[in-house]
Amino acid sequence: MAGNFWQSSHHQQWLLDKQDLIRERQYDHSVLTEDEYQKIFIFFSSVIQQLGEQLKLRQQVIATATVYFKRFYARNSLKCIDPLLLAPTSIFLASKVEEFGVISNSRLISTCQTVIKNKFSYAYTQEFPYRTNHILECEFYLLENLDCCLIVYQPYRPLLQLVQDLGHEDQLLTLAWKIVNDSLRTDVCLLYPPYQIAIGCLQVACVILQKDHKAWFAELNVDIERIQEIARYIINLYELWKTYDEKKEIQGLLAKMPKPKPAPQR
Amino acid sequence: MTNKLKRYEKIEFLGEGQFATVYKAKDIENGNIVAVKKIKAGSRIEVQDGINRTALREIKILQELSHRNCIGLLDVFSQGSMSNVSLVFDFMDTDLEVIIKDNTIILTVANIKAYVLQTLQGLEYLHLNWILHRDLKPNNLLVNSNGILKIADFGLAKLYGSPNRLNTHQVVTRWYRSPELLFGAKQYGVCVDMWAVGCILAELLLRVPFLPGESDLDQLTKIFQVFGNPTEDTWPGVKSLSDYVEFKPSAPVPLKNIFIAAGDDLLDVIGGLLVLNPLKRKNCTDTLKMLFFSNKPTPTVNSKLPLPQSIKSVKELEKPSLKRKLLDSGEGGTLPKRLFF
Repeated sequence: MAGNFWQSSHHQQWLLDKQDLIRERQYDHSVLTEDEYQKIFIFFSSVIQQLGEQLKLRQQVIATATVYFKRFYARNSLKCIDPLLLAPTSIFLASKVEEFGVISNSRLISTCQTVIKNKFSYAYTQEFPYRTNHILECEFYLLENLDCCLIVYQPYRPLLQLVQDLGHEDQLLTLAWKIVNDSLRTDVCLLYPPYQIAIGCLQVACVILQKDHKAWFAELNVDIERIQEIARYIINLYELWKTYDEKKEIQGLLAKMPKPKPAPQR
Repeated sequence: MTNKLKRYEKIEFLGEGQFATVYKAKDIENGNIVAVKKIKAGSRIEVQDGINRTALREIKILQELSHRNCIGLLDVFSQGSMSNVSLVFDFMDTDLEVIIKDNTIILTVANIKAYVLQTLQGLEYLHLNWILHRDLKPNNLLVNSNGILKIADFGLAKLYGSPNRLNTHQVVTRWYRSPELLFGAKQYGVCVDMWAVGCILAELLLRVPFLPGESDLDQLTKIFQVFGNPTEDTWPGVKSLSDYVEFKPSAPVPLKNIFIAAGDDLLDVIGGLLVLNPLKRKNCTDTLKMLFFSNKPTPTVNSKLPLPQSIKSVKELEKPSLKRKLLDSGEGGTLPKRLFF
């Protein structure tokens, strides 16, 4: 997305501190360990990704929706809104903001039903419980908690430029792009500016492909320690994935997750 | 959310547009006067669509902006049903359309220069931030009692610069719509806003809309009656635009014959903005560098700009009370000495 990142709300209001996250998550961490908390967010990132793909959205919209989702819970406990409702709501708002045509609410709900039934039956035995009115109500809470900051910068564009500067390497770009997608399952999008995330992902990709671009990285005018931190987040994610079987564990985790009190019967 | 509804005390109804009604209100938390734009709920089907797209567009863009010549978004809240959004803006006393239509106001070159300068400075900021306004017209250029002009109504605004992205050509109120939009161009840039500024400048001089077309075709006729027909020489690629139609050839009229009171430096500005070929049209930065803006007369200072009587009278009513306050506080000595001639 075009615009001036340095003067954007993303840069000025929404690059958070690790300390902020720890403070805001205090309640959730009294119920869930850090690993468990991350596993829940990995799961819902996949839900958003699958919903987006099913709705044939561009990756940009999916990434924005994921960032909205994460920003909401960076300020609120999981018990404030059921993430299963906030996930499609984030998609709904992001598709409007990114000017990606109209997703009708009925299509969104029916897609949720199909995706939950076909792809995530290992997590949810019952069908998708929410209706249009829930999403519309939730949309406003989301907008409010985002402080009306809707424009989100993503690492994809800087990544393209960086790879171009390295000399076109298709294999490297494809892998780094995938790593950027994976990075949405960590907290980096809340903590670091997108150009740093792009560099971090590129570095991990170089290591995996055993490409030696040390000289090129050394020339970059960036805080290399921050890049290392980002790489560390991503490597930790891959470490976690090695031993983690979502299909077996997720039901237990969702059961343990803090939940909203049931709404008063209307 | 609910307490925000109480935070803004309605003072009076200001106006109604296609998408919204606007009220003047008082922010009881700090006593500021604000404008509350209540987005209409629309039809049942639109309600199903959630937060109104036009409102979202304004929120998303205004949240990223801060410039003295662009309207400031102060707050967003909802009342009653959730998808019913209200936006809170800086309160502005009037707009350029009212000023242009007010026969009691005399717009000197210095006044016009000040208004156009502010418009261009605000618009340059938008364009540098990759935002197209796409609906510039006198009544979207708001003016407050201090004579500060702010660009408002970002309901059609859009980020531009993605090379492959197609845009709709159904933007901009017809009289201010550029020829490439009228010919159905789907890829365009800042030039659509620049044409509109040209029309607004012309309207400030003529005091009536410059090109008041009655239909899209009539709009083109009116444009070509002044500027002559475009040809592949003057505007390469014009014939391949999707809605291109051939017009009866007409010769351009010298701008000097239309704007008889305008000086050459001012005519250069109009001639730089109202160019048929969008690629030859000047952008904000280049226009601001033109001689007109550095030549005499200097632009009127904001506080001296002519405003409609209704706003002036309110201001003048306030003034004596200020003087009284100063006298009462025993600091009458600081008042400037009255000069007798």
